[in-house]
Amino acid sequence: MTTMISWTAANSRKIAREERRRRLGPLGVLTHLALLIWTLLVMVPILWTFLASVKSEDEIFSDAWSLPASLRWDNFARAWEQAHIGQYMLNSVIVVAFSTFGTMLIGSMAAYVLARYPFRGNRAIYLLFVSGLAFPVYLALTPLFFVVQNMGNLPVIGPFIGLNTHAGLVLVYIAYSMPFTVFFLSAFFRTLPTAVGEAAMVDGASHTRVFFQIMLPMARPGIISITIFNILGQWNQYQLPLILLQERDKWVLTMGIADISTAAGYDQDWSALFAALTLAILPMLIIYTVFQRQIQSGLTSGALK
Amino acid sequence: MPNTPHISRRELLRGAALVPVAGALAACATPAAPPAASSSAAPAATSAANPFGVGSKPLEVWIFDGGFGQDYAKNIHQPLFKSKYAGVEIKHNATKEITKVLQPRFAGGNPPEVIDNSGANFMDFGALSQDGQLQDLTPLLDAPSWDDPNTKVRDTIDQSVIDIGMYEGKFSVLGYVNYIHGIWYSQKVFRDNGWQIPKTWDEFLALCETIKKSGKMAPFTYAGKFPQYLYEPLLTMAAKVGGNEVLVNIDNLEDGAWTSEAMKTAATAWAEVGAKYLMEGTTGLDHVQTQTAQNKYKVAMLPSGSWLENEQKTTTPADFEYGMFPIPDVTGSDKMPYGTLHTQPGENFIVSARSAHPQAGMEYLRAMLSKKAAGDFSALVRTMTVVKGATEGRDISPGVTSASKAVADAGTNTVYYRWFNWYGPLKDEAIAATGELMSGGLTPDKYLERIQKKADEIKNDSSIKKYKRT
Amino acid sequence: MIFNRYRRGLFITSFLAAPVILYLVYVISPYIQAFYIALTDWRGVTATPRLIGLENFQRLFNDNVFWQAVMHNGALLVLLPLITIVIALFFAFLLNVGGPQGVTGIRGSKFYRVIFFFPQVLAVAVVAVLFQQVFRPDGSGMLNGPLMALGMGPIGFLSDRDVAFWSVLAVMVWQAVGFYVVLFSAGLASIPKDMFEAAQIDGASRISLFFRITLPLLWDTVQVAWVYLGILALDVFAIVWVMTLQHGGPDRSTTVMAAEIYRSAFEHFRFGYASALGVVMFFFTVGFAILSLRLSRRERIEY
Repeated sequence: MTTMISWTAANSRKIAREERRRRLGPLGVLTHLALLIWTLLVMVPILWTFLASVKSEDEIFSDAWSLPASLRWDNFARAWEQAHIGQYMLNSVIVVAFSTFGTMLIGSMAAYVLARYPFRGNRAIYLLFVSGLAFPVYLALTPLFFVVQNMGNLPVIGPFIGLNTHAGLVLVYIAYSMPFTVFFLSAFFRTLPTAVGEAAMVDGASHTRVFFQIMLPMARPGIISITIFNILGQWNQYQLPLILLQERDKWVLTMGIADISTAAGYDQDWSALFAALTLAILPMLIIYTVFQRQIQSGLTSGALK
Repeated sequence: MPNTPHISRRELLRGAALVPVAGALAACATPAAPPAASSSAAPAATSAANPFGVGSKPLEVWIFDGGFGQDYAKNIHQPLFKSKYAGVEIKHNATKEITKVLQPRFAGGNPPEVIDNSGANFMDFGALSQDGQLQDLTPLLDAPSWDDPNTKVRDTIDQSVIDIGMYEGKFSVLGYVNYIHGIWYSQKVFRDNGWQIPKTWDEFLALCETIKKSGKMAPFTYAGKFPQYLYEPLLTMAAKVGGNEVLVNIDNLEDGAWTSEAMKTAATAWAEVGAKYLMEGTTGLDHVQTQTAQNKYKVAMLPSGSWLENEQKTTTPADFEYGMFPIPDVTGSDKMPYGTLHTQPGENFIVSARSAHPQAGMEYLRAMLSKKAAGDFSALVRTMTVVKGATEGRDISPGVTSASKAVADAGTNTVYYRWFNWYGPLKDEAIAATGELMSGGLTPDKYLERIQKKADEIKNDSSIKKYKRT
Repeated sequence: MIFNRYRRGLFITSFLAAPVILYLVYVISPYIQAFYIALTDWRGVTATPRLIGLENFQRLFNDNVFWQAVMHNGALLVLLPLITIVIALFFAFLLNVGGPQGVTGIRGSKFYRVIFFFPQVLAVAVVAVLFQQVFRPDGSGMLNGPLMALGMGPIGFLSDRDVAFWSVLAVMVWQAVGFYVVLFSAGLASIPKDMFEAAQIDGASRISLFFRITLPLLWDTVQVAWVYLGILALDVFAIVWVMTLQHGGPDRSTTVMAAEIYRSAFEHFRFGYASALGVVMFFFTVGFAILSLRLSRRERIEY
């Protein structure tokens, strides 16, 4: 009896497999082959980096694909402590957390007003923001440095927002994220129905309350997608922190990685470089994999609006 | 914001409190005026023991963390300075990217006091000088030396340091280390294989051929990622063939200086090495990778300077025995004799004129130039300093022995060049073109024409300050 | 009524104050200053830059390196969107309508979509350092190791001037494709399934399915992708600066406008000149933006 069942099960599995193969056809095989090739193209460099991160210095310099004789976890200790990857990562997290929050708060406020409140100068302000999309940031770098430096001379708040401060960098990130954020969010706010907000106004709700309690929740999909865009964009920033943060303990992760890559040439510590790369890559991949559904749908809904 | 002397930071902030935000915004519209307050702060009284008037403000020191590391500053120079000025706080910093980290500090008007402006990414001395950022170090030269109140600092260091440190007629850059350039090899490898040090270029090529045929290792390599490692022996060879004026003309941006006959000879010679005898993959490797390859006996020779031995100390086998030889005779009628060397003070220390405490910066340099500091430095990093006689009676390494013997042999036949410190864009062009010359992308003639064109461009560019030497 | 209008005005002002001030201070004012600095010979530190009129612009006109950079940006502007969009469309099509019935996604499409997206979440600087290692010129390089084992000479992915530019382009495509696969997939998902089914009943092959239905209906999305990728191509910096030899080499074979601006400003201390280069780049970018807005103002396909 039991053999009978297992026989049937095996048989039906076999049939199903054959069925699939028949349906797949040569084109289906090619399809999978193409997809598989790109999968390898994406994964192999990343996995190779992971592999090199547990190799010794000598092993890294010999055959590229040899397996390590023993796993050198101390590479990670060196990357974390001596190369301060931990510190840089923390800095990045702090800066991006505040700057993304600030960007979304201020950006959605501006976008909402510009989208829903006609007033004299509305169009001009909107265009001012949107035109920023086309400005190359490199033109502004040098003067920006002085602007931030001068901000450091302001009374009371100066010391907190000048050069070498995370708050200063946060403000800069927010400002430079405005064009993109305002452009997409105001488009989004325009598509939302007006009835609910108007009804609330009739009931005596203030403009501010309508925004925070009605419109913002309605705009959730758009908000999420622009938030993800901003997190990615600000996390990846290299150019702005490069000129605004000179003190090592303030650096963000991208600067730390680029620095280790230069330093590896002098210190002859390539294994620590690979470990640092792994430390920079792995958390991002894990976070992304966990939230991939939200991230993908969020990103595309924003871009398609 | 215009600052007046003697204003304290607190007062400055209080004053700024009166400036409305709008005013601050308007101030954004032009680059900040560098705060002149700091450097013109009333100096402390000077005395024979404290010739520059070191006050009590902190002293910030930035060290290029390269071949020599940073320990020499922390463990040798700074304690010595501290022994005399216990009250001055020293803020020690180190970086591998001097420009990236410090350029904005200069632009921002709060540069640190002392900077070891070295490495692949040092700050353009010409620009610093043009902007009045370099403290005039003439008082340092005329001050009594740290060791002996009756000897001036000027008399304790090599004259070439003073010549090369001149910018706009003022001594502003102190090269601390005497870099000796040449072709480096392993004395053990040469001994074991019976290879002889080549005295002529033909012998050099024959040696390359022998090494190549032996199949044991590649004959030659250089830091392909940084072709400045190769234009060094090329220029030295040109000077040897055509005389010192070849380099003087190049430095002075004379017409046709790069396309001179001597330069053609040298470029042709090295292009041949590039075509035939380079280690595989050279063009994509950096200095450490090629030097490590040499330590692993994968390549026999490479051009470098006297910092090499220290830079490689962790990967050099114990019996490697670094040695160095000068550029061989090329034509048989070379203007300069066999043994001609390129020696150049390096590890260029500067004091920022606009820093808060330049007096302490100069005093720090005076301490560095003491016999004890220089001697300990040489012992630690296996390199000669510019301080005369600082290594007397000390243990030195095989590489230093070899290099100092070469210096002794060279006598007065030493050359140097300065254009790369003066004209950043020219340096970039020479770097790019030299890489192409070695990989066969440019013929020697085209190579020289290309750099000459850039030199002419700079000569005719009124916005770039020009320098002259003799 | 008046109170209401007052309230409304107050609301607008209070909501716009922070974003507008931040934007004016940190974005607009630096750009305005940059235009001014472009007219000076400022070297970064002097308090009062000397006005030299349009001299910097005359100079940059003869600056071969800068025009080389412009050419590279131009090549990227054409190639990066083209290659990325073709690859991404191909995969999006396979993943969504490449299945057995021609209208369904194939097995494991979710898995592929997750993997393809990986490079997008990595910082560009990290990708640059990673590929620097992948491209190593000797046997220790991820690519050259196997190549040399097969008896082929090492390829100077970054050190051969004829190859280096393509290496840069390849890395940019490598990083960008995943995002556009996901973007096009979302676009495809919004196309009604019965359009495909109807076409299949008419006997359309998969290839004609792609050209007759998928592409026209995705055209809007493709245009969005083109603009994004175009701006990416004009703005590229970190990949070139961090990954290539001599920051845009060897021998300037990979340099781009942004790298030349950075080099002039922060390596040669020629801020006036760098700003002039930036102004030119500004007009290129704005020009591209206006042009693509014009071109994309064609009819939408309604469904």
